Amino acid sequence: MKRLVGALIGATILSGLCTPSRADEYKGAPRTFLFNPSPDVCFKDAAKYKKAGPYTIGFANAGLGDSWRVVALDSMKKAAGDHKDQIKHLLITDAGHDDAKQIADIQDLVSRGVDLLIVSANTEKALDPAVSRVMKQGIPVIMVDRRTSSDNFVTFVTASDQLEGRLWAQWLVEKLNGKGNVIILGGQAGSSPNEARVRAAMQVFDQYPDIKILDTVYSDWSPVKGKQVMQAVIAKYGKKIDAVLSTHGLQTPGSIEAFVEAGYKDGEIPPHTSADVNGALQMALKHKVADLEVGYPPAMYGLAIETALKVLSGAKVACTTQINAQIGLTHGDETASVPHPDLYIDQMVSMDGPPDMLVTGGMGPGYDPKSYKADYNQ
Amino acid sequence: MTDMALPSRDRARLRRMAASNAGLLVVLSLLVLMLLIGAVVSDRFRTFGNVANVFEQSTGLALVSLGQTLAVLTGGIDLAVGSLISLIICLTAGLLDGDGTYMIPVLAGMLALGAAIGLVNGLGVVYLRIHPLIVTLGMGAVLQGVTLLYALGPVGSVPDGFDALAYGTFGPLPAAAVVTVLLYVATALLLRSSRFGRYIYAVGDDGNAAKLIGLPRTQVILFVYAFSGFFAAVTAIYLVARFGSGQPYAGANYTLASITPVVVGGTMLSGGRGGVMGTLFGAYLVSLLNNLLNFLDVSTYVQLMFQGLIIILAVSLYVEKRKSIA
Repeated sequence: MKRLVGALIGATILSGLCTPSRADEYKGAPRTFLFNPSPDVCFKDAAKYKKAGPYTIGFANAGLGDSWRVVALDSMKKAAGDHKDQIKHLLITDAGHDDAKQIADIQDLVSRGVDLLIVSANTEKALDPAVSRVMKQGIPVIMVDRRTSSDNFVTFVTASDQLEGRLWAQWLVEKLNGKGNVIILGGQAGSSPNEARVRAAMQVFDQYPDIKILDTVYSDWSPVKGKQVMQAVIAKYGKKIDAVLSTHGLQTPGSIEAFVEAGYKDGEIPPHTSADVNGALQMALKHKVADLEVGYPPAMYGLAIETALKVLSGAKVACTTQINAQIGLTHGDETASVPHPDLYIDQMVSMDGPPDMLVTGGMGPGYDPKSYKADYNQ
Repeated sequence: MTDMALPSRDRARLRRMAASNAGLLVVLSLLVLMLLIGAVVSDRFRTFGNVANVFEQSTGLALVSLGQTLAVLTGGIDLAVGSLISLIICLTAGLLDGDGTYMIPVLAGMLALGAAIGLVNGLGVVYLRIHPLIVTLGMGAVLQGVTLLYALGPVGSVPDGFDALAYGTFGPLPAAAVVTVLLYVATALLLRSSRFGRYIYAVGDDGNAAKLIGLPRTQVILFVYAFSGFFAAVTAIYLVARFGSGQPYAGANYTLASITPVVVGGTMLSGGRGGVMGTLFGAYLVSLLNNLLNFLDVSTYVQLMFQGLIIILAVSLYVEKRKSIA
């Protein structure tokens, strides 16, 4: 372990790049916007929402429940703290993943006189009438991470599920030289991020007739369940498995662990994919697993605050505001489509950090979700 | 009815009235207390808009708790309401699917289905002689399974203008909440002034004694579960107007939530004592509490704790009251 940490520090210094916190500090425009070939990009004019500050902003959260959402909320509070002069109150409600409660929360926030409302919708359809009514009252609404089904909001702050799905699939195809058996290790069956990523991945796989999807299994975004389902898959298919496309980093460590326990030696485990979660990167490095990391950064909650201020200043905003996703890769696993990542995984990982830590939270070095206390106007 | 029964009936009535009034008194005091706290901490809390907002938010809970109150008054309980709400939300949205052509027959059919499923619960309680808790718990599981067979995810949609059922207003007041008050008043009159209403209390007080003296216990039990099922269907139709689509787990939280206003409002879980007006104020209390805690920036998890503590506090007050009457 000590040797590994030493090697990592050495590699970081030698490469002349920044410390691991660089994953948090990228401020560039999202590639999904820069590379978008479409001549028409949807923009909304927010001039009618222009208002003098300081503002009261409300955030109706669907709920917490996993480490991604905890870091995301901290990222929002941190951003509100960075703009204390402009944000006199950030009022936060938590619906505990209950549609009826989130609708009541939204009504209560409006009652409290918010200038702008940010919503992460528990479910896409059930929250739509409530959000539409707020817009009708002339209060701008920004959706973050989970949108409602209609377009009755100013902008949707998110990352690209499509970039993740397509890039993961393309890299796996190239790692397998266009031929091999893939397991899709999903999150929650039917959840929109999972389905969107799988659909995008299939658009790539379908172009390669020699790529076969052996099985699709679900982990409910849990490393424990991820391990259980992969144990069953390994027992059934064994060495026939050539690659694992995991739709997030939450379940990846469980899958790698299942291969290790099934007797696979370091370097023998098939290539995996991941996003955001430190544990996935730790396991990939420890067991020499080829890993492509494409983030779905919880820092998008901080970006939602920046976007809110933009809307209240009357600026034009894109209908979909995408945060840039960092692309990370294990050394030696470069392919034609991923010739060099933004960062190598040993530059993103925190080997001593907790496995459930998020490396893409935008919270800076030394951040610990357990002890973090945000300083913002409540 | 024998001469011997009269004094005991009078005593029972006295006890009933005292318990019912004690319930109202406690719940009204708590309501006033919360309004005062809210008015002190935020000038926006005491606006008419916010009061109307709380009034509107109480509607779903008040509707389902109305049926639950009658089941509890007979000494029973209806744990199928949450799943029944989920089923009817999905069926209503799925069958309408954005088209208002068959709206009236679909809604009538859903209300009849709710009452029919409630009736089946009642038949199980009467003829299979299984405790209502088990019958309705089992029925709840069956209904949730049926719902998931019908829809694994969000299903259907409602026609344009359907949301008026949830968001329509009479002048400045939310219409659904006003109609709910009228339904409560009508049920309270039924319970107090009709012979059948008194039978409901008598069955809850002592079911076997009620049967021995010739009261129609079977009809009473069948009626209260059909009534509870009917109001679960009314709740579902209100919620589908609010959500605009069907969600297979949308009713899940209403099973236990529907019991809170009942017990907070002074109806005894042992049956025979209490009344619906206490339940209505109990529903207002729960909505006001959530609203107030949101205004106070209290976390959702602490909100749950407050709800639990208020139930225990209210019920403990009634227990004291009952002891002193006894």
